Amino acid sequence: MKLLEYKGKELLRDYGIPIQNGVVIEENQDIKESVKNLKSPYVLKVQIMTGGRGKAGGIKFADSALEADKLAKEMLKMEIKKLKVKKVLVAEKVDLIDEWYLSIVLDRFNKAPMLIFSPLGGVDIEDTAKNNPEKIVKIPINFFMGIKEYTIRYIFKKYCLDMSFFEAFTSIVKNLYRLFIEYDCTLAEINPLAIVGDGKLLAVDCKADIDDSSLYRHSDIVEFRNSIEENVLVKEARAFNFLYIPVTDEGNIAVVSNGSGMIMSCIDLITKNGQKVGAALDLGGGATSDRIAEAVKIIFKNKNTICLFISIFGGITRCDEVALGVKGALESGEIEKDRVVVIRLEGTNKPEALKILSEIGDNVVIADSISDGVNKISSRRF
Amino acid sequence: MSILIDENTKLIIQGITGREGTFHGERMIAYGTKVVGGVTPGKGGQNVFGVPVFDTVKQAYEETGANTSVLFVPAKFTAEGAYEAIDAKIPLVITIAEHVPVHDMMNVYNLARKSDSIVVGPNSFGIISPGKSKAGFMHDKIFSQGNVGIMSRSATNCYETVFLLTNEGIGQSTVIGIGGDMIPGSSFIDFLPMFEKDEQTGIIVLIGEIGGSDEEIAAEYIKKYVKKPVVALIAGKNAPKGTSMGHAGAIVSADGTGSADNKEQKLSEAGVIIAESTEHIVKIIKEMQ
Repeated sequence: MKLLEYKGKELLRDYGIPIQNGVVIEENQDIKESVKNLKSPYVLKVQIMTGGRGKAGGIKFADSALEADKLAKEMLKMEIKKLKVKKVLVAEKVDLIDEWYLSIVLDRFNKAPMLIFSPLGGVDIEDTAKNNPEKIVKIPINFFMGIKEYTIRYIFKKYCLDMSFFEAFTSIVKNLYRLFIEYDCTLAEINPLAIVGDGKLLAVDCKADIDDSSLYRHSDIVEFRNSIEENVLVKEARAFNFLYIPVTDEGNIAVVSNGSGMIMSCIDLITKNGQKVGAALDLGGGATSDRIAEAVKIIFKNKNTICLFISIFGGITRCDEVALGVKGALESGEIEKDRVVVIRLEGTNKPEALKILSEIGDNVVIADSISDGVNKISSRRF
Repeated sequence: MSILIDENTKLIIQGITGREGTFHGERMIAYGTKVVGGVTPGKGGQNVFGVPVFDTVKQAYEETGANTSVLFVPAKFTAEGAYEAIDAKIPLVITIAEHVPVHDMMNVYNLARKSDSIVVGPNSFGIISPGKSKAGFMHDKIFSQGNVGIMSRSATNCYETVFLLTNEGIGQSTVIGIGGDMIPGSSFIDFLPMFEKDEQTGIIVLIGEIGGSDEEIAAEYIKKYVKKPVVALIAGKNAPKGTSMGHAGAIVSADGTGSADNKEQKLSEAGVIIAESTEHIVKIIKEMQ
């Protein structure tokens, strides 16, 4: 679960990492009243789940509460990369002397946290990696010891940093590590970490990614997830314990299966055949007819989807249950008549399933294998 | 021969009295697995389908001489269960649950590497040596005994491959579910030396997918040490970017690590035959036999 800047900063603040004073503004809020405890000038930043908001006009500055009010209202009407702006963070503008980059990531190679630092902050770390690789240091953290002071001393010496920031930086790194561990982060990033004066550092922007599997122990993050604008179908699917994955906007084929490996394989083969997958849905376990019917209905709620490929390989999954689910969905009246389902099933009660499917109509096409299904999709030229 | 699991496997089931533990416990016994005990805290002294239940793994180990444990416990208790099995010195610990927090697995992994235990999973269907023994929940009817050793990050792609192989009359030595999580207890690199040494295994199949660098690490090992033919499939070439890897992955893999192309290239350079699909894996192996 990726956090928006304001939520990430809330966590930073809770862990004793200095951030600017600021407030989150939503639609119909009295903005002038909200910012009255903040010192002008202000910086206004849209809170959306995508990068590049600066270039898209999502960051603005205001000298007065009146101007902030006007700009915030405009920003709350914006749409950036198809995402409607629902929240704007208004913060006290700071004068930066210099900018650093600091993050802790879960390093899959070392199976341990890794500290990443660059004296070139305020730009995408991927760009620094490409253009100034010598300006990035990546330090795997010994899992049993955590971050020690000598690691920080190493960074300061390597990049000849001003030692007057040593204490403030050490405190931020240790607190960020504590946050990383306690909040099950896969990423906790401060970029830029700004130098704002005498030995003072400030986290000006924050990205955090929290392991979805750990959310049962972070109720505040679940609350945050429920509060933000998301793909409606993702939300709807989650209610049934399905995973809905938007693939490409222009895709008109969808894939439903009972495992992510099979889903990736199907997407690969359909794409290789020159067609585009728009979305995929992972059923997880328990392919009962009710659940299958819901999955098929959710998939076709995306009006771009004209063909659904269902590939189920169930050891103990009953194929007749799957077939009944497909039949139920297609006969519910909720799905347009020109939509097509190509289906490939393997498992118990397959003959019964094929009989049910063959009686539904022309819009159900039975395939013998994944490749047969993929070929049948392409022969229909969707 | 086969690896990890065979007729000498003495298995305990952690979570034996739970719904999944009982359901799959009976199926494992029916397949011929020697299930010598089970563990459920607070239910020691009971019997489940003739198998004694213990309160702790240590007791079960002392009383039964178990050499393998399979965990049918929910995700949130998986780390605790794995610690207990590692602490009791069970040589092989197989974790099944999906959605185990990755920080929990980071703990389990690092602890296991300081011990003599091998941890497999989580998010794994388990391990099966067809005709001998199985520890996990895989649908055993599709498996058959033979010379193909398989390790897979995906259950569905693995089942598909096994099903097609068996239909062609090609059996398997051992099939391992590595699991699809960010930090698996063990990966390709841990099993390659075992398959290479195993007399029954003639061909090795590696089913990988995008993300991480386990396939690249395997490729380096194969290049140096593996003489047996290896066939690989990498799933996820056209998966949407950032969905599973996110921003964190983007920097760690600025050199291309994690993409399907890079994995295929590294494996191919190591002499591995790259398959386009599960059906293609089977076609390649059929031509080798």
